[in-house]
Amino acid sequence: MEFNKGDIILSEVIELKGVTKKFGKLVAVNNVSLSIRKGEFFGLLGPNGSGKTTTIKILTGQIKPNSGHVKVLGVDVLRNPVGVREVVGIIPEQETPPSFLTAEEYLHLVCKIRVLKDIGEKCDYWFKFLEFEDSRNVLCKDLSRGTRQKLMFAQAFIHSPNIAFIDEPLINLDPVIQKKVKDYLLDYVKKGNTIFFSTHILEVAQELCTKVGIIHNGRIIYEGPVKKNVSLEKIFLEKVGKDNHV
Amino acid sequence: MFELLKSMIKEEWRIHTTIFGGVMFALFPLLIATYSFLGCLFYPLFLTILPVKQLILIVHYLFVFFGLSIGGFGLLGREFMNRRFGQASLLAYSSRTLPVSEKFIFLNFFIKDVLYYFALWILPFIIGFAFAIPVLNISFIYALTALISVTLSFLLGLSFMFLISTLYAHIGKIILLLGLLLIIGLAIIIDYNVSVLEILPSFSFVMSPSITPLITSIIIILALCSVSLFYLKVDYPTEQRFYNNAFKMKLPFKSPFLLKDFLDLDRSEGGLAKVLFSFLFPLLIVWVILFVFLKFVPIGNFLLIFSIFLGLVSSTIYNWVTEFDTFSSYSFLPIKASTVIKNKIKSYILLNSVSAIIFVIILLWTGSFSYALPALFAAISISAYSLAVTIYLGGLYPNILLYNARILFAYILSIMPILSLACTVSLLWPNYLLLSPLLIPLALGILWLSYKKWDSVEQPNY
Ligand SMILES: Nc1ncnc2c1ncn2[C@@H]1O[C@H](COP(=O)(O)OP(=O)(O)OP(=O)(O)O)[C@@H](O)[C@H]1O
Ligand SMILES: [Mg+2]
Repeated sequence: MEFNKGDIILSEVIELKGVTKKFGKLVAVNNVSLSIRKGEFFGLLGPNGSGKTTTIKILTGQIKPNSGHVKVLGVDVLRNPVGVREVVGIIPEQETPPSFLTAEEYLHLVCKIRVLKDIGEKCDYWFKFLEFEDSRNVLCKDLSRGTRQKLMFAQAFIHSPNIAFIDEPLINLDPVIQKKVKDYLLDYVKKGNTIFFSTHILEVAQELCTKVGIIHNGRIIYEGPVKKNVSLEKIFLEKVGKDNHV
Repeated sequence: MFELLKSMIKEEWRIHTTIFGGVMFALFPLLIATYSFLGCLFYPLFLTILPVKQLILIVHYLFVFFGLSIGGFGLLGREFMNRRFGQASLLAYSSRTLPVSEKFIFLNFFIKDVLYYFALWILPFIIGFAFAIPVLNISFIYALTALISVTLSFLLGLSFMFLISTLYAHIGKIILLLGLLLIIGLAIIIDYNVSVLEILPSFSFVMSPSITPLITSIIIILALCSVSLFYLKVDYPTEQRFYNNAFKMKLPFKSPFLLKDFLDLDRSEGGLAKVLFSFLFPLLIVWVILFVFLKFVPIGNFLLIFSIFLGLVSSTIYNWVTEFDTFSSYSFLPIKASTVIKNKIKSYILLNSVSAIIFVIILLWTGSFSYALPALFAAISISAYSLAVTIYLGGLYPNILLYNARILFAYILSIMPILSLACTVSLLWPNYLLLSPLLIPLALGILWLSYKKWDSVEQPNY
């Protein structure tokens, strides 16, 4: 299916159908189906080791599932993994920028790989926005964790993608930057972009997400909209707790 | 007291086994033992073409070189491990959280390296040799002497490199320049008088076993070690390093990856010079061996055989350009593993200008101009072929994957026949080396397969 701007408006931009991923005997993602619409702020919640990161890696063509279909913005991820990564932005969970480049050089490299124009201005914007201009010329391996996280945030959004996959992006950021980043993300979604967000910090999900899915032992055990007056924490504890006892 | 050492060895073992899978890694020493056993069986064959004294000399220098390279690995290994596992995860870096001194930790670190690599490489080698003793028809006492003397040679190399790395920590890159001068100086002296090589005390020990050379070797080893330990500088990368954006420079090439490879090599410990060194050391050894060999058995042309080995050694430059990079920093970007590999090949070609210079020097030195073309063709074709094999087997992680017994075995199986064929041709019909570019289509085919292979597998997260 060709990507067509007109189609997208009300249709699904992220689609997973019957996706299973095994690591040897361990079934990390078990027959997962999900569909997410344009403009959604989707939160994938789940305990440690439940399969959130694996799901994101499958969606962005970084690992191949054993079975199932995956489409992102109309691109068949299994057939064209690089094509998907061209159009989306990704903040990986733990991958770090290469040790021996400076922060600025790294952003520069990303821009070159993504064949962007006005690289200098784009870099300037992000260093300013995330307030780490003083770290521009520092080698990535010498950066603090939070600063590295800022850099990873910048590289994910530097090409203004329509979809962003972000895996626990707030953990190491200080409160001021967290607030800024949250506002940025909310605004980003408001403009019609889509976010696929993985976290186990429920307050953040409650605050930001429009829809959540709960994954436990690789299976989706809950899917539904986020409402102001319904506590996600309650739903989470109830569903995961129940699931533990079956 | 030994708790720390024990944990460090355990840690090293676990790092290696998680990377390669336990069984494959455990097979590695077995493989080494098998090779040394087979090598020893050929010993009588070697003796028919080379006097025993020269053969023993060569073996001892191989062990010195071996110690040198493992010492060098320890020197660079720190940065390498650091990149891969993060500082805090290694015991050696956790001294701040442990109630022991840094010197103590590094002493343990050093001893661990010695023990670990001894067990991994030297011991299997010796065991292989021991198994060959009954077949070789040599006396047990003589075999024992030989075992001691090769071990001493290894330790001499190792402790010398340890001294170099301590010096390096104190005086920085000048040491590399000094080392370069030392290598060139040695080459000139050896050229002038080969018997200088016999100074090696462990060699004197095996030639005429007595207490003096034994004690001399041990004293040298202990002296080198204690000097380096005493002046050991625990250089934590405490200061932040700043650089201006190198991507803004005007460069003759477009690929950002090429620049990145260059920056990685330049900014990591040892700088670009380390590539030159790791390249010159093996070549010097090849040079010495060939030189000694051809002095006694003048059956081949030096330039031709040297060029064949130059081709092989030059392919290791690929290991350097992949050493400080990891695909996990690209895996979330729109780029294929094969694209990264292709760019590594470009860096490889660029850095190989060093090989070209060495080729010209050797050509001028030997004056074998009539063989210039076959030699050049052989060097380039063998380099291309070994590179293709390395990439097919090792992908973006040749330094890690080649430690896997199965992969190493496949590597040797693919390289050895070609190398032997080339050497034979060079001895018998030198001009037929002009046909060696026939290897290039083969290399290209292997590369094409490699791209497919590495694009279809998930890149591991080293
Ligand atoms: N490359 C791998 N090889 C083997 N097992 C893996 C691999 N990657 C993930 N797993 C396993 O798959 C399961 C799901 O892991 P995943 O990283 O997706 O969890 P997660 O939900 O992101 O957890 P966390 O909240 O801790 O980040 C875990 O049991 C993990 O150990
Ligand atoms: Mg995760």
